[in-house]
Amino acid sequence: MAEKCPACGSCGMPMEKPEDFARGDVSRPYCRYCTDARGELLSYEQVLETNARFYVESQGVTPAAASAMARAMLADMPAWRGRH
Amino acid sequence: MIKQSIHAATRREQKVVTRDRLVNAAMALFARKGIVNTKTADIARSIRMSHGVVFLHFPKRDDLVIAVIDEFGRRLAAEFRQAFEHDLGLRAVLQAHLRVLEELEPFYARLVTEAPMLPPKVRSTLMMLHAAVSYELFAALERERKAGRARKIPRPLLFNTWIGLVHHYLVNRDVFATGDSVIAEQGETLVNHFMTLVKP
Repeated sequence: MAEKCPACGSCGMPMEKPEDFARGDVSRPYCRYCTDARGELLSYEQVLETNARFYVESQGVTPAAASAMARAMLADMPAWRGRH
Repeated sequence: MIKQSIHAATRREQKVVTRDRLVNAAMALFARKGIVNTKTADIARSIRMSHGVVFLHFPKRDDLVIAVIDEFGRRLAAEFRQAFEHDLGLRAVLQAHLRVLEELEPFYARLVTEAPMLPPKVRSTLMMLHAAVSYELFAALERERKAGRARKIPRPLLFNTWIGLVHHYLVNRDVFATGDSVIAEQGETLVNHFMTLVKP
């Protein structure tokens, strides 16, 4: 098996390098994309929007499909579990 | 105290080993029987574990499918990292992508064949991996373009053209390959063709 690295507790992105973590701090549970300049977790809506945009920009799926996929991805993440 | 922590560490290691065995067994069975058709009981039986152990590690069946896709993602990330250490070119990125697909080909072919039928979270996980590949491809294309070796292509179309080509060969691998791996037999042709398509 390949070596495992921590994954962001908000979006699941593998965090391999220090710069992948919030504020470059490897002890933080979230990635730099899911946090603000102070390292605080963004709102659910902001994280959802970032993830949906990632699907649209990379593969050209419709915004509605991208949003549904992002919602499915976030549903079981530690940061958002039990939200609904 | 020391004895207790050694014991705890051993238990943790044992847990990781069991989890890895389950992921490997799942990948093998998914490849052979299909993802939709494989039951968690079959996976447990194939490595002589009790069915309960599967649920201890993966409370939902989807979690196990996602763990297998994540393993694929980890190997992909490692392969890309290695490719970048030696060569930042588009060809190297395409070859790195195909190396991982070839390594996991029987499972990956099932995954893309069944993708539209899979639960939303599983499909979203696969599409997120595609997104990561798309970004690597586009970054490599842009580097080639700045060096005058490629033309401008929108990010989604660049990726969809590449993945559409590769997936067509994978989904129909029985008619495009004489042996076990269509990537081994056709991969180089696909990379060469794609490199021709992106030329200025």
